[in-house]
Amino acid sequence: MAELSVSVNGELTAAQVDPRTLLSDYLRDHLGLTGTHVGCEHGYCGACTVLVDGASVRSCLTLAVQADGRSVDTVESLASNGELHPIQQAFKECHGLQCGFCTPGLLMSVLELAATNPGCGRDEIREHLSGNVCRCTGYHHIVDAVEAALNSVREQGDGS
Amino acid sequence: MAADQAPRYFGARVARRQDDRLLRGDGRYVADISPAGVLAAKFVRSDEAHAVVAGIDIEAASVAEGVKEVFVGEDFADNEIRCVSSYAGFQESAQPILALDRVRHVGEALAMVVADNEYVAEDAAELVVADLEPLPAAVDIDTALDVGCAPLHPGWRDNAFVRRRATTYGFNEASSSAPHRVSIELHNGRHSGVPIETRACVAEHDPGTGRFRLHTTTQIPHLIRAGLSWALGVPESLIQVIAPDVGGGFGIKAQLYPEEVACCLAARRLSRPVKWVEDRREHFVAAHHSREHRHSVTGYFDDDGTILALEADIAVDMGAYSVFPWTATMDGGMAMGILPGPYRIHEYSVSSTSVCTNKTPYGAYRGVARPAACFSIERLMDQIARHLGVDRVEIRNRNLLADGDYPWRSPSGLIYDSGSLVESLDAVLALGDLEGLLKRQADARTAGRLVGVGLAVFTEQTAHTTQEFKQRGVPIVFGYETAKVRLDASGTAVVSASIHDHGQGLETTLAQVAADRLGLDLEQIRVEYGDTEQVAYGAGTFASRSAVLAGGAVTKAADAVADTLRQVAAHMLEAAPEDMVVETGRVSVAGSPSQFLETTELCRLIYQRPERLPEGVEPHLEASRTYDAHPGTGAYTNAAHLASVEIDPLTGKTRVLSYAVVEDCGPMINPTIVEGQIFGGVAQGVGSALFEEFLYDEAGQPLSTTFADYLVPVMSDIPDFQVAHLQTPSPHTIGGLKGMGEGGAIAPGAVIASAVEDALSHLVGTVTVDRLPLTPERVLGYIDAANGNGTGP
Amino acid sequence: MKPPRFAYCAPQTLPELLEILSEAGDEAVVLAGGQSLLPMLNLRLAAPSHVIDLDRVPGLDRIDGANGCVEVGAMVTHRRMETDPVVAASAPLARCAAGFVGYRAIRNRGTVGGSVAHADPAAEWPIVLLALDGAVDLASVRGWRSVAAEDFFESVYTTAKRPDEVVTSLSFGSRFAHSWGFSEFQRRVGDFATVAVAVACVMESGEVAEARVAIAGVADRPVRCPEAEAALVAGSRSAASDAAAAARDSIEPISDIHGSSSFRKRLIYAETQRAALQALRANGAGADDG
Repeated sequence: MAELSVSVNGELTAAQVDPRTLLSDYLRDHLGLTGTHVGCEHGYCGACTVLVDGASVRSCLTLAVQADGRSVDTVESLASNGELHPIQQAFKECHGLQCGFCTPGLLMSVLELAATNPGCGRDEIREHLSGNVCRCTGYHHIVDAVEAALNSVREQGDGS
Repeated sequence: MAADQAPRYFGARVARRQDDRLLRGDGRYVADISPAGVLAAKFVRSDEAHAVVAGIDIEAASVAEGVKEVFVGEDFADNEIRCVSSYAGFQESAQPILALDRVRHVGEALAMVVADNEYVAEDAAELVVADLEPLPAAVDIDTALDVGCAPLHPGWRDNAFVRRRATTYGFNEASSSAPHRVSIELHNGRHSGVPIETRACVAEHDPGTGRFRLHTTTQIPHLIRAGLSWALGVPESLIQVIAPDVGGGFGIKAQLYPEEVACCLAARRLSRPVKWVEDRREHFVAAHHSREHRHSVTGYFDDDGTILALEADIAVDMGAYSVFPWTATMDGGMAMGILPGPYRIHEYSVSSTSVCTNKTPYGAYRGVARPAACFSIERLMDQIARHLGVDRVEIRNRNLLADGDYPWRSPSGLIYDSGSLVESLDAVLALGDLEGLLKRQADARTAGRLVGVGLAVFTEQTAHTTQEFKQRGVPIVFGYETAKVRLDASGTAVVSASIHDHGQGLETTLAQVAADRLGLDLEQIRVEYGDTEQVAYGAGTFASRSAVLAGGAVTKAADAVADTLRQVAAHMLEAAPEDMVVETGRVSVAGSPSQFLETTELCRLIYQRPERLPEGVEPHLEASRTYDAHPGTGAYTNAAHLASVEIDPLTGKTRVLSYAVVEDCGPMINPTIVEGQIFGGVAQGVGSALFEEFLYDEAGQPLSTTFADYLVPVMSDIPDFQVAHLQTPSPHTIGGLKGMGEGGAIAPGAVIASAVEDALSHLVGTVTVDRLPLTPERVLGYIDAANGNGTGP
Repeated sequence: MKPPRFAYCAPQTLPELLEILSEAGDEAVVLAGGQSLLPMLNLRLAAPSHVIDLDRVPGLDRIDGANGCVEVGAMVTHRRMETDPVVAASAPLARCAAGFVGYRAIRNRGTVGGSVAHADPAAEWPIVLLALDGAVDLASVRGWRSVAAEDFFESVYTTAKRPDEVVTSLSFGSRFAHSWGFSEFQRRVGDFATVAVAVACVMESGEVAEARVAIAGVADRPVRCPEAEAALVAGSRSAASDAAAAARDSIEPISDIHGSSSFRKRLIYAETQRAALQALRANGAGADDG
């Protein structure tokens, strides 16, 4: 067993885990944060995407012990005081989700995009988010939602 | 059955009500459910396509750390999945829960390890040693049907589940006297819906009551209960099936699977909950495949391109077993029926063979045979146009059904209720800017680039019920859906339905329907589904039926509840029930709007002041209704698609540049949701057309078992869409609704093939694009042929 | 798809790491970013006795740009290669190639050292190293050594690295750094290359004096193509096409489900031509064809 101490959504968690435990399973099974979904466990679908120290990673391709001493953010961190995050709001308004299974990973990738490249257009959005597979939407409404989300993030940035 | 006031919600683009929880990560999918004491199951699967099971050594696995039990075929030998068609000559297959003496495809389960968690279960599964003696594998249609190929199931004559044929009386004369004919053979790659949520189930058994509860990723909870009842030999009253949030279905989750039966049996044996979450590699070999059709089609036509007769020979590679509840006849039958498509074809001769092979069994996938049928008839239309030197649009306009033709009885006996085929084709040419596309194509050719334009038109049977399914030879006739509406003492409503929502937005659209009928705000209505305890029976969500049939059932049930409101209000206001009007938030007397009762107050009185009710009225506001859209032959949606592509002449890689859809699914409850369904369907169709294929080697080994090898379209592969709607109501359905969940996925194969062929049409050689998916390598082959040589630069 | 059981250790210093490696034996693996190892573990294609995590070892994530050469620590991520100004200035080919590696989430975690040690024959870094006359630096308790890229990649997932060694850094030479081209055939954004080609040239008075053409996805290891290199040096007006044809005709590529050998020949032609044109255009040398 390995000692693990990791900040998840701003709260320090500590556990003894089998070192082979995947970060995705640590979040879901040990912490009950089932918002992070597992779709392929070999890094292609993107459903399990979370942020580690602010950068998107596949939680299925990360051992929980690799997150030791780091800070992890999951979909559960997005809404604050009951209010949807502007990215979540944009997905709701633009019908950017259907079954909702790929959505949490996608939102985390968009969160990173908004932080690092909020000015990008539709083609760049498509390129950047090509590691998050959605089988339901055909992507059009997702691109609408991301465009709207980046707009609102930019507006907030301008206002501050 | 008109509502008392103009609809507030029907037709409105209201935001979806489930999105809040899904966006917060608060969705509840099967993998998220872990009852106390739950054990993890892991299946050991065959790595041979066809073999005798000489023995399975579970000794080491049984004593491995954390293992509770290892099951093999004999443990579940009393149970099987058998789905028998009533078609003459149908040959039955029995699918074991775990393999007995034979395995018939790679991925068939041999043993089941039940352990403390998934990690140790997988460790132990690696210790199971199966002694498999390989047999020759029948991996394709021709091998399986060869007279020298031994039947794959005991007692069979050959490897056809069923062969069927039908010919119209005038076919021979019409075809033999036709001045022209064109024949093509078309191939559709084997692929499937591949939802991002894999299959999963959690089985619980209560030894005290003998009751089973199964949480499972399904589109059809009631049918799963029926299938489990048969497979387990337990009455339905002892089985509860719950489908919570489901992460995409597309048809793949509309069958009963052996793993669901196995988990129930293991839970009963061990008196512990047993949970199985399919891994992605299993999904590719054990979740049902689809789409692999081969069609030989011949069109007979006159000098101006009018089709005089159509001939088709259909073969579908159904894999190893007949699946519940569809049987192994579904795709072949659907293709026979719909292949004549949207055209005025009177004479038709068709044969169809459902072939049994050593591949993963074949189930439903969005569109069920219609993509292959559309591919065939639309490719044929393009070839006829080329044969006669007529424009592709013109040849279609000469043959498309028009207003005066409805109701149209197709040569296969389908009744098309209504449509707007010519109009939709016209409209899509404008929407997608055909003129502009052709201009850009001309410019591109000047610059040495390969750009093509493709189009297709189709009609789609949706919401078909009793009349249709009773002809399909299936053991359960999927005739209706059920809805229950209950208004409570607070004046809020719960709508329960037998359908399931796994992305289609029915949690929202059914609330829109109920809100209008009951005069409530959307927020006052909760829609529930997915639990067999909620309503008596129903089929579920498939075949583009849910909005029509559940929408109709909700309308009927809500109207029955509204009748009680009218009756009680009339009594209290001393007016006649027939003069009462259900309005927003109140029930009033027609013509005297000041005489009313607020709905909330009325609800409270009905439940809590029974002494004030009129004689004969019971103190509740609840109604359950079923709806079968009479006559049950279906409401016909139609659409036209127009797209452009560019091909890299050096690599054959094809990009979709633009994609326009004009769809007519009748009146729309929520146009935004309709558009989302269309876009999603088209993207899956682009996957069919360009990317997705389960490949096998000659020994029956699957080669596409990870997402590195099975390619689904990603965001940069799909263009922005253009979409417009026509709204021709169905004469057969409540509100004139037509289904549309599958439509988007039907045409893209035909459209993109047409576009690729068009991109090469200026080159010296004539090529016929006849095989999907259009991988770069295949497209290079067409380019080479069009260049009149077999070599590239 | 869960990893098999293994012993895990996270050494805090390089000597500690090397000591562990020398004792762990052949069945131990080193974990860098894990973007190649974790899929292998989840698919149970690898079953190591020990997983030795480099994350705590200091000094493996430096990017050093002295003398025009670029030395890149093994733990530098693909993402840093994409964004680092030193890399952009001194090894722009490497910056370009980094953008082709997987998706953003993969690039955030995956490392150059991990990729090179994994030696997937379709990966980008090996051909970048070959094209830029690079080397792989290895350490063990026995000492340090540097292996030229030419000699490092031996076969599929097999390199000159011995079990007790660890890749500590890569170095990219400066001679080839400034006339370069990179072209890759991916079925979809983020996919492994079916074929990828890196071209790098040494220019003298506007002529190609020396050329490197390195190709991924065609053999059991990344390969250089001397025939294509000679065509670039020959410098006809159709040099890029000549090089492309030479590469196509001299290489007998592998077949797999992503493409037959004959299809790969076509890709070799297409991507070599594109990469060569890019390299030549950067200097205005013979760029008429294409």
